[in-house]
Amino acid sequence: MDLVVRLVYMLIFPGFLFLVFYGMACDWVDRKLYARFQNRVGPPWFQPLADFIKLLSKEEIIPEAANQNMFRVLPVVALAAALTSFLYIPVWDLTAFYSFPADLVVVFYLLTIPTLAFFLAGWNSTSLFAALGSLRTLIQLFAYEVPLLIVLMGPALLAGTWTISEISAFFVQNPSLLGVNVIGLVVALVAIQGKLERRPFDIADAETEVVGGTFTEFSGRLLAIIHLVVNIEMVVLASLISAIFLGGSFGLGPIWGFILYLFKTLFIVTLLTLLKTLVARLRLEQMMKFCWKYLAPAALFQLLINIVVKAFLV
Amino acid sequence: MAPIKIPFGPQHPALKEPESFNLVLEGEQIIDTEVKLGYNHRGIEKACESRNITQCIYLIERICGICSHSHSTAFTKAVEEIAAIEAPPRAQYIRTIVAELERIHSHLLWLGVAAHEVGFDTLFMYAWRDREVVMDLLALITGNRINYGMNTVGGVRRDIDSGQAKQVLESIRILVERTNYYLNVAINESIFKARLSGVGKLPQETALRLGAVGPTARASGIARDIRKDDPYAAYDQVGFKVVTDEQADIFGRTMVRVYELLESYRMIRELTEGLPEGPIAVKAPRKIPAGESVSRYEAPRGENIHYVRTNGTEIPERVKVRAPTLANLASIREMAKGGFLADFPIIIAAIDPCFSCADRMIRISGDRRGELWNWEQLRDYSIKWYQQRGVDLSHMG
Amino acid sequence: MSGEKVANWINQQLEARNVSVPRERRVVAEIAPLKLVESIRMLKEMGMNNIGTITGLDLGDRFELIYHLSNDDGVLLNLKTFIARENPRIPSVTAVFPGVFFYERELMDLFGILVEGIPEGRRYPLPDDWPEGEYPLRKDWKGLSADKGVTVDGAN
Repeated sequence: MDLVVRLVYMLIFPGFLFLVFYGMACDWVDRKLYARFQNRVGPPWFQPLADFIKLLSKEEIIPEAANQNMFRVLPVVALAAALTSFLYIPVWDLTAFYSFPADLVVVFYLLTIPTLAFFLAGWNSTSLFAALGSLRTLIQLFAYEVPLLIVLMGPALLAGTWTISEISAFFVQNPSLLGVNVIGLVVALVAIQGKLERRPFDIADAETEVVGGTFTEFSGRLLAIIHLVVNIEMVVLASLISAIFLGGSFGLGPIWGFILYLFKTLFIVTLLTLLKTLVARLRLEQMMKFCWKYLAPAALFQLLINIVVKAFLV
Repeated sequence: MAPIKIPFGPQHPALKEPESFNLVLEGEQIIDTEVKLGYNHRGIEKACESRNITQCIYLIERICGICSHSHSTAFTKAVEEIAAIEAPPRAQYIRTIVAELERIHSHLLWLGVAAHEVGFDTLFMYAWRDREVVMDLLALITGNRINYGMNTVGGVRRDIDSGQAKQVLESIRILVERTNYYLNVAINESIFKARLSGVGKLPQETALRLGAVGPTARASGIARDIRKDDPYAAYDQVGFKVVTDEQADIFGRTMVRVYELLESYRMIRELTEGLPEGPIAVKAPRKIPAGESVSRYEAPRGENIHYVRTNGTEIPERVKVRAPTLANLASIREMAKGGFLADFPIIIAAIDPCFSCADRMIRISGDRRGELWNWEQLRDYSIKWYQQRGVDLSHMG
Repeated sequence: MSGEKVANWINQQLEARNVSVPRERRVVAEIAPLKLVESIRMLKEMGMNNIGTITGLDLGDRFELIYHLSNDDGVLLNLKTFIARENPRIPSVTAVFPGVFFYERELMDLFGILVEGIPEGRRYPLPDDWPEGEYPLRKDWKGLSADKGVTVDGAN
């Protein structure tokens, strides 16, 4: 019985199947809002699903010079990593289904795996544009990863634990402390744009510069999986932010907790879309400068605030 | 990392037309650019030598979709000069109004493209939405959104009536408002500005040496504008400023174009309000006497030069067209050198290239349908088409 | 400098023939091909600081080349020169005006005029595998024959 529950959790809800569809829903919200912000009509609600099915039915072309197995496996590796990381994040409850001490660090590094898999995939495609794109992916990683890690440390420090569920629970007990991490929340939102390679950090797949970027050579099912990974990553990151900075489901019980979860994640997606609407794309070296000169110091400042708060108030 | 060669074209998302630039890159930095043109060569100059003057006007109008009026005006101007006829004042005014409307549509189009090249799609969508205002205006006056077919030897083919003039003034009022907003965005949006400032530097001396024209030259501080230097049509009767900028980079080129928009609005308002009465064309002979003429025209992208030689028959002896893009291409190498790959799309876009102008080819369109549809019918059809596919556009006006 | 002044200057300084001012801001002059580069250099120093384009014409027995120079006052000078149709050659003016590169390439491709001293570069505007000896803007050219065709344009 326990095994059945576990399988349902992993494969259906809130695991694989839920993530796939919620990822598509978030993708649709993102695209529709982006379109409305830009005075366009935007796609109908089933567009992400239609795109997915269309890609599944398309021919798969793999460059002859590329390592065939690597080319096929890497998108799946990225998908697996993104799916796994979600199991440690609480959804409707205060504790995640799988939770163990210091799982925040594991989730953080699991979320790095898709990026690295994409880098390898691009590098392995033996195309000039893909190589340039994957190099950019890797360089970007060094820019946003550090500020993101530092700001995630803030709430962890305050709660005195590295476990996501416990951080969430801590803020439910001390809701007034949520306000301490406002800078951290902003930094995290900006860094997530980098992680998801969205404007202003869509440098790795800037079509006017490097055509398809990392994914230039991908087509058919493999491209569908990659799009899926990006959508799921968005959900996972939004859930993570919601759990760490916004107190997660606030212990309201399964139904209201789940509704609150949806509300919070969609709110974060909306914020990400708004950010994407408002800015132009940065150059790689401008992004490095921005991340190290403003984002990382802001993250450090947040950490300092948390240390002070922890020392005197908690 | 050893230098790598990146093929930028003939097919590339940043290029709207097929041209090829081979970039030699060291990391992200551009060391050299190799330009290969001619993919759009259609032999229009040769084709003109087997057509009569009237047919040539329509062929030449199709050199370019964006600045079609500038090519046909330059050509008819040259022929009128040889035939020693002059278009009546009302025709000159209408030509100038259409020319400035064309400049507005071209510059707004450019603003959108430039924003897209640096990944600012929101400005791209806004600029192109407002471009529809001027496109509608052109459709109202000329019957076409592009390739207006306004010019004929001796004048223009369609008049502007008082209702249209009123609509022009009304639309211009909207556009002024929007353009001021874009000016505000361009000046204050820090990422957009950071992407444009200091990129694609073209010092005044280099621009002069390489013969840059149009907004590219004016942004390098060269006050080169044919409308002022060698006035044609009604430009000597209307007041305007030649917009220049000293920054010599892409931000400067953006500023020049946006301020030129504001100048164009003022001009159109003045011209529409002071439209002289009278005929819109004089009768021109079918056979043009032998002679030659060079006609210069300030197209949205810079100076257009048309050379026409006639031999006393209906068919011209030689027609030579120099489009502004060709004059500005020499500067691309200078502007790209030492820049980043990320900047290359906007560097190309900043000269507002029109390769089919430069190469002069013809495009053959599909079958003509046996029905005549007016604007409303077309619009209704497209709304219905989308509705069947689940997208409701009817509220978009 | 106005058109008349430019015409006067040309009459005094250059060995030009048939100098005329057909209308305001237009000057026409003829020059020998051997004097071309030197004359253009002197004109540039005088203020004709731009070459708009170079027009080539096939007159049947010889080629006519027109260099369209202009100055900041809107004066356009059509500097004409005539060269033989057999083995046509003309010195390049890229040393004076580097921007004329593409216009001289056009003369080479479309008229088969050898421009001496033009910098290395890709051909323009015809495709890379355009057959030898076919020059579209010559009056006696009637199109490519069926056995000659352009197949592939070199992609790099």
